[in-house]
Amino acid sequence: MRLFRSEFLRARSRRLVPMVIVGGLLAVFVSLGLAAINSSPPSQASLEKAQTEYDQQLQRCLSGKYLGRNGELPPGYDTLEEFCRDHSGPYDLDGMQLRDLPEVLQGIATFVILLGALLGASLGGADWTNNTITTLLTWEPRRIKVLLTRALVVVLFAFAITIALQAVFAAVFWMGAAIRGTTAFTPSDTWSDIGQTLLRTSVVSTAFALIALSIAMIGRSTVSSLGALVGYLILFEAVIAGFRPSIQGWLVVRAGIVVVSQTPILDYRAGAYYSSTSPDPLVLMSVARANAVVGVYVVVLLVLSLLVFRRRDVS
Amino acid sequence: MGVIEIEGLHKEYAKLRGGRTVAIQGLDLSVPTGGVFGFLGPNGAGKTTTIRCLLGLVRPSAGRMTLMGADVQRDLPSVIARVGSIVEAPAMFPRFTGRRNLEILARIHGEGATAIDAALERVGLTDRAKDRVKTYSLGMKQRLAIAATLLRDPALLILDEPANGLDPAGIVEVRELVRSLGAEGRTIFISSHILSEVQQTADHVAIVAKGKLITSGPVDEVLTTGGRGLLVKVADLEAGRRVLTEAQMSVAPAGGALKVDVPTEQAERVSRTLAEAGLFVTELRPDEVDLETVFLELTKDQGVGD
Repeated sequence: MRLFRSEFLRARSRRLVPMVIVGGLLAVFVSLGLAAINSSPPSQASLEKAQTEYDQQLQRCLSGKYLGRNGELPPGYDTLEEFCRDHSGPYDLDGMQLRDLPEVLQGIATFVILLGALLGASLGGADWTNNTITTLLTWEPRRIKVLLTRALVVVLFAFAITIALQAVFAAVFWMGAAIRGTTAFTPSDTWSDIGQTLLRTSVVSTAFALIALSIAMIGRSTVSSLGALVGYLILFEAVIAGFRPSIQGWLVVRAGIVVVSQTPILDYRAGAYYSSTSPDPLVLMSVARANAVVGVYVVVLLVLSLLVFRRRDVS
Repeated sequence: MGVIEIEGLHKEYAKLRGGRTVAIQGLDLSVPTGGVFGFLGPNGAGKTTTIRCLLGLVRPSAGRMTLMGADVQRDLPSVIARVGSIVEAPAMFPRFTGRRNLEILARIHGEGATAIDAALERVGLTDRAKDRVKTYSLGMKQRLAIAATLLRDPALLILDEPANGLDPAGIVEVRELVRSLGAEGRTIFISSHILSEVQQTADHVAIVAKGKLITSGPVDEVLTTGGRGLLVKVADLEAGRRVLTEAQMSVAPAGGALKVDVPTEQAERVSRTLAEAGLFVTELRPDEVDLETVFLELTKDQGVGD
């Protein structure tokens, strides 16, 4: 507990923490402020027209018209109603709409995940950069305890900061939609969707914070961690995945996106889902597999960093 | 049993391009409890590696070490709370205040504001405690690092090159601090290559070169190994040399005096011999050998400085 208090104070004192919070809040207010300025509340007439259009689309969808072969639901959907709500909408309505918030949150998830990685890399690498790891280990020589405590602090910081920033984003978006857009056509379970998206994004962000922390402890610097992550993104997630799509089922960034969106990655080269004559698309990464991939990356890298940190000389 | 016991310590590092570098080869050392112990050696002698091994930062290739009776490789956590240490340069977060740096460390052992205030007061940094460490001079950083070691009220302090890079005023500050800490009954293990500095503070010394122990013991004894003698001045140096040589004493000119290679206790014999020959001594004093001379003498066969 004492070491935890020390690590917590150390993390809290890092300049990066207020920078991430202030920068995140600034990004939220500037981006949504601009969106609100460019949005205008719809007129009563356009709302009525949109409502009629929405009702018609929803009815067509509920009749099963948009389903694939044999009336099967696409992967990722449990009920027809759920599918239809996602695929029916007042498409002619412009401006900020509260019903879009879950998708918008998924859209900003990449940045939130990057924030988590940045926090993990910095909180793990700072001691090596400043050589204070020597000082720390002369106070607490039990290295496994040191690293696990640090990991716990990183989990707390990454989760709390990312969920708070997303909550602020959602609240500001809701206000913007209420004042400068519309909250109409919002399904009753939207807030539940929003809550789950926030949680999933923060969990994935925390997982990436742990991955970045582990790499920083192995590479002994913040830069090595961020560099390795960027290198991995370019080499594996972009280049190799482009040439060999089958590898996508093993890639952690894609897995993170699947966890956040709850939408599996499909290989449409084998056939389009909506074509009645084509075979089913190949599922490259299901949601369950994505959860497992993220978990395996975190556990393997954390264990590896523990072994390396425990064994290697600190000089 | 000493507060630090090292037996057959050996440390090798693998080189990037193959082969191995031997940093320490079979070092034996015993540091008595209490007082200031100087651990001397040129750069690259293995001083810092030895200290890193003692503090569990570096894993030795072979050998056994105990710190306050605890086996370093198995039981270090049980004694670390009673050991304060600074390894090489004082490592603190430069953007944090001095006080915040101490708070982070103090929490590890449950120490509070009282211990922090006392440590800052002790090293004279109370007024600068709220300033960022990056604004500190090297001497102040060194004192802050010493303050950190004092948070735990340690029985043993291990200081690696504490005067390194300091200006003369900083060296004096650190020397006074080390002396006063040693006077409180703590054991201070201080490594340095600034021999004059150690000579002024240490009670015992050990000299290492190329990872091996050359000699160790009380400072006076180690100084004796460099060979002591007497410096004699007489009006006629040549006559004095002849008389002393005839009296079976080894004599050599030393500037405007004669160096007589006899124990200092034989000063009376030297004086009487010269007087009986009608040569009257104008100055007679021990030929003080400093640690630097002894060190160079003892390490000349070790290829130090090659």
